[in-house]
Amino acid sequence: MTDDKDVLRDVWFGRIPTCFTLYQDEITEREAEPYYLLLPRISYLTLVTDKVKKHFQKVMRQEEVSEIWFEYEGTPLKWHYPIGLLFDLHASNTALPWSITVHFKNFPEKDLLHCHSKDVIEAHFMACIKEADALKHKSQVINEMQKKDHKQLWMGLQNDKFEQFWAINRKLMEYPPEDNGFRYIPFRIYQATTERPFIQKLFRPIASGGQLHTLGDLLKDVCPSAITPKDGEQKTQVMIHGIEPMLETPIQWLSEHMSYPDNFLHISIIPRPTD
Amino acid sequence: MAGEEFFLGEKRFKQCCEDFVKHSQQIGDGWEWRTSKDLGDGYLSKTHFQVRNRHIPPDLKEKNNDNTEQMLFAHVEEPSDDSQAAGACSTEEVVRYEYHVLYSSSYQVPVLYFRACFLDGRPLTLDEIWGSVHASYQARLQEGPWDTITQQEHPILGQPFFVLHPCRTTEFISAVLGGSQQHHRNTNYITLWLSTVGPVVGLNLPLSYARLAPEQSTAVADRALS
Repeated sequence: MTDDKDVLRDVWFGRIPTCFTLYQDEITEREAEPYYLLLPRISYLTLVTDKVKKHFQKVMRQEEVSEIWFEYEGTPLKWHYPIGLLFDLHASNTALPWSITVHFKNFPEKDLLHCHSKDVIEAHFMACIKEADALKHKSQVINEMQKKDHKQLWMGLQNDKFEQFWAINRKLMEYPPEDNGFRYIPFRIYQATTERPFIQKLFRPIASGGQLHTLGDLLKDVCPSAITPKDGEQKTQVMIHGIEPMLETPIQWLSEHMSYPDNFLHISIIPRPTD
Repeated sequence: MAGEEFFLGEKRFKQCCEDFVKHSQQIGDGWEWRTSKDLGDGYLSKTHFQVRNRHIPPDLKEKNNDNTEQMLFAHVEEPSDDSQAAGACSTEEVVRYEYHVLYSSSYQVPVLYFRACFLDGRPLTLDEIWGSVHASYQARLQEGPWDTITQQEHPILGQPFFVLHPCRTTEFISAVLGGSQQHHRNTNYITLWLSTVGPVVGLNLPLSYARLAPEQSTAVADRALS
């Protein structure tokens, strides 16, 4: 269906207009202007902010600059989460542009992973893809691929090349004809209010009777509080890539079409705006 | 028997951990089980201190106490040069290690998480962690550092920890359990696994763990096959 392929493109090319401002306590030689950038939802902060770093380093002294990190309204932003997930989770119901504060000092060791080079991002990205395939195919598909195929997935993401990426990724979205879907669905459910960073469990896309499990079935099983209305009113939103998919959507379809490049469905449960 | 893969179901993981903790309590080895408040899953946890001499790699032949005394300090072999020994005992070389054993439902194996900091609170960097990996494993580490130990988010606490990658676990566990050595089938999975991966990152098990009785459920049950 051509409609389904359009979804893949819409997901890949999603952007969030962002305004980067230098933290006021950073020591500068002249005033730092804010920097505006359209961030790809499917990528990672430290992969796409080289220009941001360069822009602010120009007004700072060399010795004041160590590892860059980002914060939104006091919350350090985890670079290892995709940008779209961070936005949906923390700022989706606020006015655009997304205002992110840039820091070069006092790296929050207890909150953030270090990211000293692009190799760290690549290792993280590939580890996620491998874990997703362990769930979908017992690692058979990813292990059959050559190193150059793995590299192509990473290069496709890094260089924003949809075709290059999907030439390989489509193999990770296939399943044996006798099955009706993956073995288990790679997903993580996030709520900003919990200490636990995310919920991840084994969940089959097909029920024992052969019916397709839906997004609603997944939530009922793994995170019932997300969809059980209190006082008859739905207090939360279930968000993926900035939209609320219908709860009747088959989870197999969501996994094939709305996963991030790491092959995981990253789902945010956020408070419903009251306006 | 090659081909039959030995996965660890979550129920069996919890049972093995329970038995493991019981034995740890008997010998004062310091392991405890922590349950998460929200979802009832949990993990094994142990904290200990090590004297780390940067110039001489820690020797694996540490004097592990196989007795009931609580082991807080792992001993290192005396360096041949006395002047270096003096340097090795300065406080900044004492490292506090915290080890957690979590269950990975994706790979159906246990995973070792750990973090380390000096007494002044400064955490060790990934490079320092790589540098402290035992000499026997350095070659493998150089080959593929990113496949071996990396920094990751703890799935229950949400804080940065170092992790020993689980990808290869089933391969070598199958090799051990699938072999003709029948007695291994009765060994606690956690004991078997931890005694193999632990030493890579400075964690050793007293030998008495090997005498842990098999779990109540049969070894055949809960083996997830294809």
